Amino acid sequence: MTTQPIIKVSQLAKSYGRNKVLNKISFEVNKGETVALIGQNGAGKTTLFSLLCGYIKADSGSMQLLGQQPGSAALFGKVSALPQDAQLDPAFSIGQQLSFYGQLQGLSAQLARTETLRVLALVDLEQHYHTKAGALSHGMRKRACMAQAFIGSPALILLDEPTAGLDPANALHIRELISDLSQHASFLISSHNIFELERLCNKVLYLQDGKLQQHHAHAANSEACLSLQLSAAANSAEVCQQLQQLAGITDVTAGRNHEYQLSYQPQAADDFDIRLLQCLAANGWQYKQLTKGKSLEQQLFAQKKAAHV
Amino acid sequence: MSIMLFLRQIWLFSQVELSRLWLTRRGLMTLAATAVIWFVLLRYAIAPASEIMQEPNFQKTLTAAFGMLGLHQLLNWPAPELTLYWMLSLILLPLLSLVFTANQLSSDAARGTLRFISLRSSRSAIVLGRFCGQLLVQLCLIVLSLAATLTLSSLRLGAIDWQAIEAALLISCNLLIVLMPFTALMAVFSAWARSSRLALSLAIVSLGLTFGLLSWLIHHQPAASFLLQYMPGAQIWQLIPTQGWQSLQLAVVPLAQTAVLLLIAQQILSRRAL
Repeated sequence: MTTQPIIKVSQLAKSYGRNKVLNKISFEVNKGETVALIGQNGAGKTTLFSLLCGYIKADSGSMQLLGQQPGSAALFGKVSALPQDAQLDPAFSIGQQLSFYGQLQGLSAQLARTETLRVLALVDLEQHYHTKAGALSHGMRKRACMAQAFIGSPALILLDEPTAGLDPANALHIRELISDLSQHASFLISSHNIFELERLCNKVLYLQDGKLQQHHAHAANSEACLSLQLSAAANSAEVCQQLQQLAGITDVTAGRNHEYQLSYQPQAADDFDIRLLQCLAANGWQYKQLTKGKSLEQQLFAQKKAAHV
Repeated sequence: MSIMLFLRQIWLFSQVELSRLWLTRRGLMTLAATAVIWFVLLRYAIAPASEIMQEPNFQKTLTAAFGMLGLHQLLNWPAPELTLYWMLSLILLPLLSLVFTANQLSSDAARGTLRFISLRSSRSAIVLGRFCGQLLVQLCLIVLSLAATLTLSSLRLGAIDWQAIEAALLISCNLLIVLMPFTALMAVFSAWARSSRLALSLAIVSLGLTFGLLSWLIHHQPAASFLLQYMPGAQIWQLIPTQGWQSLQLAVVPLAQTAVLLLIAQQILSRRAL
């Protein structure tokens, strides 16, 4: 049995004047997926978010969220979002506003208050129920805005730059929170922090010049690659020379900060990683990190970098 | 969306506007500004003028001078304070309404708060809810100022006049209807403008320009004078000499204007990028 995609976008186009921000893009997101939306500044990420949330209208193409048009009343309470730069009303307390949002979603006043306390606790702001939004720091306001996206039980949560402007501890907390909640809801997350998206997401949408350049699960082509980072003591030329000796290896590329990309034939050497570690130990090289597959950053940008060279 | 949820959302938006009046600094400033305006009017205009209106010579003069216009009917109100309140508020409140209701949607749109709200409520409910909220706020201000006027009257008479209370109720209803098209007009401009200040400026300029153009047209085509009755507040001059609940017969035009303006506001907000 096939399940209906939670987001279905087909031939979507949006222009501002002569500037084609989105040029007939198509993609689908299935239930339970956590999807990363990546792209340079001006690539169209926020425009795509705004279209999916129903904040703006598309020039052409079609979109469906949970089988409904964006902005449809059937999606109230089922789709939530953290829009970029949106702020709560500074005149009211965050508790009042989140309770109001809960009531708009159909909760009773009592349930809305309970739900508000729950979502504020998720972002460590339960002590600030009565604090006015205008009296909170930037990071706290951001977390309060994120809390509103968790009210009720939305099936799809759209987050635009969820950790931008947060300190590292809170950013980590938010990442863990998204990771936990992704068991119950699908996420579409836009961010410039590739490492964050790599940890959270199992699918990547890469927007470039208004087109969806890459659209894949980033684990797909990672079987025959290893990313290795050594401690500072090792000489890169010598390391490359030694690694080239390993059976089944096809390519070794040295990068910055003692990073190496290794390509090998898995069918020719199924114990390749063990022999690699033995090689490192034999030469007295300490490794900092060994990752199977290419990093998301390498997958997305190595091709572009190569094209520029 | 079910009609019950739609109505509930309108009530929730209205409650927020009431909270904004009574529980926020901006709302309390509005209350303070209204109190100061009405204190000055009651103390330095209504109270002394009420004394003058009691004099038989003044009543004879008014009847002789304005009897043809029906303004002598003003003397039939149960208390002269209410007569003056009625005249002053019919002229003053529409202007204050433009100022006080200019921020129905623009600040929330500029701040992005409408993005949170529009994921939970239709844009029609947002427009109607904010409009109803603003009407409730204005009703509070009217009731408070009328209570002060009745207190002034009671102090002069030394007793409570129940006829005056009934008249005050009638005044509240009429004033609310008078303010409806002005509030709806500000819903239109606040749905369109990026700030309340711009919304207010646009409303004043638009009203002025429309009135100017109509005057020019009527000057050249007197038959077009009927168009004036479609301007917001056009019924105010007819309302001044009216008495009793029959005055509500003039409510049809402002109610129709309100419906049309709210429809325009809803269409603007529906098409607006948030």
